[in-house]
Amino acid sequence: MKKLLILLAMLTVIIAGCGKNSSTSGDSSDSSKKVTINFTHWRGEDSKAFDSIIEQFEKKNPNIHVEMTVFPSDSYQSQIQGSLLSGEGIDVFASFPGSQFETIRKANGFAKLDDQNLLSKFDEKLIQAGKADNTQYALPYQLVYNIPVYNKGIFEKLNLDVPKDWNSFLKTSETLKKNGYTPILFSGDVSPSQFINPMIMNNEPTNNALHEVETGKRKLTDEWFIKTLSQIKELNDKGYFQKDALGTKKESAAALFAQEKGAMLAQGSYMMATVKQQNPKIDQGLLAPITVDQDKAKYEGVHTTTFLLGVAEKSKHKEAAKKFLTFLADPKISSEYANATGQLLTVKDVKYDSPELKESAKWKDKKTVFQPRFTILNERVSKAVETSVQDVLSGMSAKKAAEKAQGEVERVAKN
Amino acid sequence: MSLKTNTSIQEEEKRTPSFSFPLFSFKSISKSRHLWLFLLPGFIIYTVFFALPTLSALFLSTTDWNGLSSQFSFVGFQNFKEILTNDSIFTQSLTNNLKFTIGVLIFQTLLSLGFALLLYKNSAWNTFYRSLFFVPTIISSVSIAFTWNFMYDPNIGGVNLFLSKIGLEHWTQSWIGNGHIAIYSLAFVQFWAHTGQMLIIFVAGIQAIPSELYEAASIDGATRWQKFKRITWPLLAPATTMVVAYTTIQSFKAFDLIIAMTNGGPSNSTEILSTLLYHEAFINFRFGYASAISVVFMIVIALLTFLQFRVLRLTKM
Amino acid sequence: MKQNPFRQLILGIYGLIILLPLSLVLLTTFKTTPELYSNPIGLPAGWNIENYKQLLVNEPIFGYIKNSVIVTVFSTFFILWFSSMIAYAIIQLPQKLGWIVYGFFVCGMIVPTQVNMIPVFLLMNKLGLVNTLTGVIIVSISFLLPIGVFIITGFMKTLPRELFEAARMDGASEWKIYSKIALRLSIPSMATVGIFSFVIVWNDLLFPLLLLKSKEVKTLPIALLDFQGEFLTNYPMLFSAVVLSSIPLLIAYVFLQKQFISGMTSGALK
Repeated sequence: MKKLLILLAMLTVIIAGCGKNSSTSGDSSDSSKKVTINFTHWRGEDSKAFDSIIEQFEKKNPNIHVEMTVFPSDSYQSQIQGSLLSGEGIDVFASFPGSQFETIRKANGFAKLDDQNLLSKFDEKLIQAGKADNTQYALPYQLVYNIPVYNKGIFEKLNLDVPKDWNSFLKTSETLKKNGYTPILFSGDVSPSQFINPMIMNNEPTNNALHEVETGKRKLTDEWFIKTLSQIKELNDKGYFQKDALGTKKESAAALFAQEKGAMLAQGSYMMATVKQQNPKIDQGLLAPITVDQDKAKYEGVHTTTFLLGVAEKSKHKEAAKKFLTFLADPKISSEYANATGQLLTVKDVKYDSPELKESAKWKDKKTVFQPRFTILNERVSKAVETSVQDVLSGMSAKKAAEKAQGEVERVAKN
Repeated sequence: MSLKTNTSIQEEEKRTPSFSFPLFSFKSISKSRHLWLFLLPGFIIYTVFFALPTLSALFLSTTDWNGLSSQFSFVGFQNFKEILTNDSIFTQSLTNNLKFTIGVLIFQTLLSLGFALLLYKNSAWNTFYRSLFFVPTIISSVSIAFTWNFMYDPNIGGVNLFLSKIGLEHWTQSWIGNGHIAIYSLAFVQFWAHTGQMLIIFVAGIQAIPSELYEAASIDGATRWQKFKRITWPLLAPATTMVVAYTTIQSFKAFDLIIAMTNGGPSNSTEILSTLLYHEAFINFRFGYASAISVVFMIVIALLTFLQFRVLRLTKM
Repeated sequence: MKQNPFRQLILGIYGLIILLPLSLVLLTTFKTTPELYSNPIGLPAGWNIENYKQLLVNEPIFGYIKNSVIVTVFSTFFILWFSSMIAYAIIQLPQKLGWIVYGFFVCGMIVPTQVNMIPVFLLMNKLGLVNTLTGVIIVSISFLLPIGVFIITGFMKTLPRELFEAARMDGASEWKIYSKIALRLSIPSMATVGIFSFVIVWNDLLFPLLLLKSKEVKTLPIALLDFQGEFLTNYPMLFSAVVLSSIPLLIAYVFLQKQFISGMTSGALK
C-alpha cells in the first residue's frame, strides 16, 4: 500500500515537472511560432507600470510573450549570473553602470546594438554609460540626479535661498536647525554613496579623479578627498544630520522628509515620486551643496544614467528582444512609464506630467557632471570610498578615514 | 522465543533454493544488499545535485575566475595567500562572525534548554507556549529582517520608542548604526528567531527519557538538580550535540538576515564570512576568490564543530 | 512539578518579547504606508483590509500558493523518506563505513548556499529542469538531506539494536524492520525534521528565484518580492503577504505537533 503511494507520488512529480517544462519552453515545435522572452530587472516598484506596457506590446506583437522577472537589487547579480553564463532565461535585462556593466561587457554578455532606428530614440549625450569602443552595448533608460531633494515650502517659510557656496550652505543649515528642522536627512544605507557625489564634484581636480585613484595616478589621501570627507564630517559634527544617521534606513529618512520634519533629503531625484505619494501637499526641488566659493564652482549638480537595458548575447530570441527594447523607447510608451513611476528618462521627446518630474527635468539644462562614484570601475575601490564616509560619521578623523581607504585601494591594486 | 527462532530457521532452510552457500552468509549478503538500496536514492540525489556542484565550485578557488567570462587562469594558492595575509576585511569578517556565533550559541542553547525544561510536558499551556516561541521560525528570514529593521529604527522603531515610554530613555542606542554594537543587535535577532526551533529538539530529547528513571530517582530522594545532572543532562547528549552543532552552523550561515538588515555595514562591522563571500562573488566579481573564502569558511566551521564535540564529551564525564 | 509563579513570569516575559514585534507586523498590515510612518507602534486608524483584499483578488497568489504546496509537500516527503532510510543504513553498517557515510552527508550542512548556486543552475539547465517544479523539488531535497540525516541518525542511534535483531530472527525483511520498527520509534525526530523541512522549503527564496521564470510555476515567497522595490518597500503590503503565507505553515506546524505528541504517548517506546 505504502509502496503504491510512493510510486504514485513520484509519477505525479515527474508529470508535473514535465508538464511545466514543455508549456513554457516550447518554441521550435510550435506551429504558431510563439516566442517567450524574459525581461529581467530589479525595480519592484515599477512592476505595475511594466505590466501595462507589456500588455500593450503583446497586443501589437501577438507572437511574442514577455515574462517579467524582478530580482531584488541586492541579489540581482547572483540571480542573473547563471542565466548569463548559460543563455537560458535571459533576453532583455537591466544592469548598473560602472563595474557591473563593464564586467558583463568584457565577458561578451551584451549583444551589440547598432540599429539606428533604436538608438536615435535616445538623447545621445545621455547614453554614454552604455557605450564602449564606439559601440553601444546597453541603453541607459533612467536619468537620475544624485543630489539632495529639498522642501521648497520650508525654505520659503524661512526666507531661504538655495545656497551657492559652502559658507551659505552652512548658514542655511544653521537657520534650519535653529527653527526646529533637521537640515539634512541622511540614511546610512544609501546616503554615503549618494551624498559623496555633490560633495566631491567641485573638489576633485578632474571629473575623472576617482577613476584616477584606482589606476594609481592619484590618491585618496590627496588634499581634495580629505577636504571632502572633512566637510561631510563638519556637517555631522555641527548637528546638521539627524541623530543616528548611520542607523537610519532610506525609507525612514524619506518618510521623515515627507512628514516635513527635515528640509533636505540626502538621496536623489528618484525619491521625489515616493515622497509625493506619502505627502501630496509637499513642494519639492533639487539642490546640491556647493563645497567651494561660488566662482570656483564648476558644476551645479550630479547626474547618473542608470537602468541600462541590454540584450543578452546568448539570448535565443535576440530579434524579439530588440523589438521589445525598441517598444520601450517609443516616446509615447516612455512617457507612460515615466509618469507612472516618477522617473526621468534618457529617451527623447518624453512628456512629463507631474510637478516633480517637470522640476527635475529643468536640470537637463544645468551644468551637471556624470556621477563621480560610477567612474570607479573596481567595486572594491567604490566600497572603500563609501566606507570612508561611514567612518567619518562614526567619529573617525577625515585624515584617518582617507588613509584607511587609500590602504584598501593599494591592497586592491596588488591583487 | 528461542524455540520459535529455531523452528523458523529450519523452515527457512527448507524454503531456501539449492544454493550451496551456508545460510549465514546468504543472510548477511542479502542484508548488505538491502542496506545499499536504502542508501541509494538519497545518495544519488545528494551527490549529483549537491556534492558534485559544490566540489566544482570549490575547485574554482584555485582560479581567478570573475564569474562571467569564459576565460580564467589558474593561480594555485594565491587566493588563499591573499585571504590569510592581505585582506583586512576578511579578518574583520572572521572576527565579526565569531562574535556573532558565540553570542548566538550561548543564548540560543541556554534559553532553548531552559524553556524545554519548563515546557516538556504536553499540557495545553505548554503546547501554546511552544507554538508561540516557534512562530518566528515559520516566518521567513527576510520578513524577520524587515520586522527588526523596523524595530531598530532610530526614529520610529519599536525598541527605542518602547524604552522611552517606560522611562529608560538613556538606554536607547543606535542599534544597527553603531559599529560597535551592531553585530550584537543582529545576534539578538538571530536567537530571537531560532530559539523556538531548538526548543523542539530539546523537548523531543527530554520526552524520550523514560519517566521510570525519574520515578526511581525520586524514590531514592534525589533533588531536582541531581536529577538534572545525573539523568537529564547525560541522556540529552544527542539532543545537546545536535542543538549546539546546528546553532553554530546556522549562525555561521546567517545570510538573509544580515544582508537585509545591514548589508555588512556600517564600515564592515557586521560583515560575516557568508556575506563577505557573497559580496566578493557577485559584487566584486571575484568568484574564484569567493570560492577560496568558502573553503576557509567551511574549515573554520568544521574546526569549531569538532571542538564543540570534544568539549561536550568532556562534560558528560 | 510545581506551578511556579517564577516560571510563569519567565515564560510570560519571553512570550511578550516574541509577541510584541510580531503583533507590530500584524498591526502594520491594517495601515497604509504614510500611516505606518506617522504612527508606527500604535493601533491602526481603521481596520483597513485593503492590503489583504488586493492580495487575494490578485489571482497569481492562489497559483503561487498551489506551487508552494506542491514543492513543499513533495520535498518534505522525500526528505523524510530518504534521510530515514539513510539513517537506518548508517546505524547498521560496520562502524568505520557508517562514519564515512554519515560524514559525507552531514558535511553538506556547512556548505554555504551561495557557493553551489551557480553550478547547480548550470546543471539544472543542462538537464532541462530550469523553470520546473520538479527541479526545485530535487534541489530542495538535496540541500536538506544533510540536516535530515544528521537529526534522524542522531535519534536512531539511541534505539536498542536488540529490537532489530529480534525482528530479523523472526524472519522479517529489512524493509519491514525499517518501516514497522525503526520509523515508528523515530517519530519525534521525523516530526522534527518534517517541521524544519516544511518551513525551510516553504520559505525558500534563493532556489525558486533562481530556477523558476514563468508565472505558472513561481512560488509564494517570490510574490513577496513584488512589494520590495529598489528605493521603496511597501511594508503594509509586504507584511500582509507575510501573514497570508505564514498561515498554512502554522496549520502544518500545529498538525505535525499533534503527530509528534501522539507518537510519544502512544507507547511507541515500548
